[in-house]
Amino acid sequence: MTLLVSAAATYGLRIVLITLVPAHRLPAVLRRGLPHLAPAALAGLVAVAVVAHVGPQAPGPAHPGFVAALAVAGLVAWRFRNPALPVLAAVAVAIVVEVLS
Amino acid sequence: MSITVRHVLGHIFWGGEVRTAVRDLAPVVLGLTPFALLIGVTAVRSGVGAATGILSAPLLYGGSGQLTALTLMAGGAGLGAVLAAVGLVNARFLLYAAALEPGFRGQPRWFRWLAPHFVVDPTYAMVTRRRELPGVDLDDPVAFRRYWTTAGVGLGVAWTALTAVGALLAPVLPASSALDVAAPAMFLAMLVPQLRARPARAGAAAAAVTAALTSSLPAGLGLLCGIAAGVVAATLTDRSAS
Repeated sequence: MTLLVSAAATYGLRIVLITLVPAHRLPAVLRRGLPHLAPAALAGLVAVAVVAHVGPQAPGPAHPGFVAALAVAGLVAWRFRNPALPVLAAVAVAIVVEVLS
Repeated sequence: MSITVRHVLGHIFWGGEVRTAVRDLAPVVLGLTPFALLIGVTAVRSGVGAATGILSAPLLYGGSGQLTALTLMAGGAGLGAVLAAVGLVNARFLLYAAALEPGFRGQPRWFRWLAPHFVVDPTYAMVTRRRELPGVDLDDPVAFRRYWTTAGVGLGVAWTALTAVGALLAPVLPASSALDVAAPAMFLAMLVPQLRARPARAGAAAAAVTAALTSSLPAGLGLLCGIAAGVVAATLTDRSAS
């Protein structure tokens, strides 16, 4: 029941600015910001993940390879356009650091 | 005749948009695999149960929201607490939906009611990235519909299947940071190519710093603050540049 109600609420968030009140009816000042949403959201997601693992509120001991793995992923993403390569590189670095430490 | 039928069927099922969506989706699924496994593992190890964990994949269709719901349910939280937390964590879908809305304009009614269910970080990033690449014109409603449906359904099937695999492997999978690093690495892989423009760099920097500084706020609020700060910074940079 809890899961179904949560799913319905999430569906509501997804549908409100597409079907119920289409976003093109929003004020111009809000619409101007929408094209800039992607880099902000992606950077925010990465930052939240980093803080969750190595910040003061991390649940367990900090994973030494976490930041190193993401740094390598960033470099690989800058050099290559294939989005799979950074992920593979990050996972490989995380495993290597884990084995070595 | 048979050649014509084959041609038409091929165009419908394997048109450029479908093929492109499958090609774009493959590395995304690879990147999300550890995250989906982690959700399956969490569902079993937290005591919520494999069935609930697997069901959360098609119903909530968003990893962070699923993890939040499963963790709170395992801790005995009530409906109101779970609803509030999941709502906060998933509030960014409201913004993604607003940015994606032009693609849903001029679409059939069934599509406008059902397809927004697939609004989530990877599908939003896929469409944003694809719009900047040559090959498929996502401003065309039919092309958008085929691309979005293929990406959304494909991701949903893979996501649910991988969550189920995680639940099955829960007793034998070791705890490893490699499971945790894959999802942010995939977001990073989607972010970096967008950083060539100055407003995007300003927006990403502002979002990352703000999200990190406000991460102690209740679930999801810090991320929302970061996104808001990033959008404002990018808009102001864009305006000063033009």
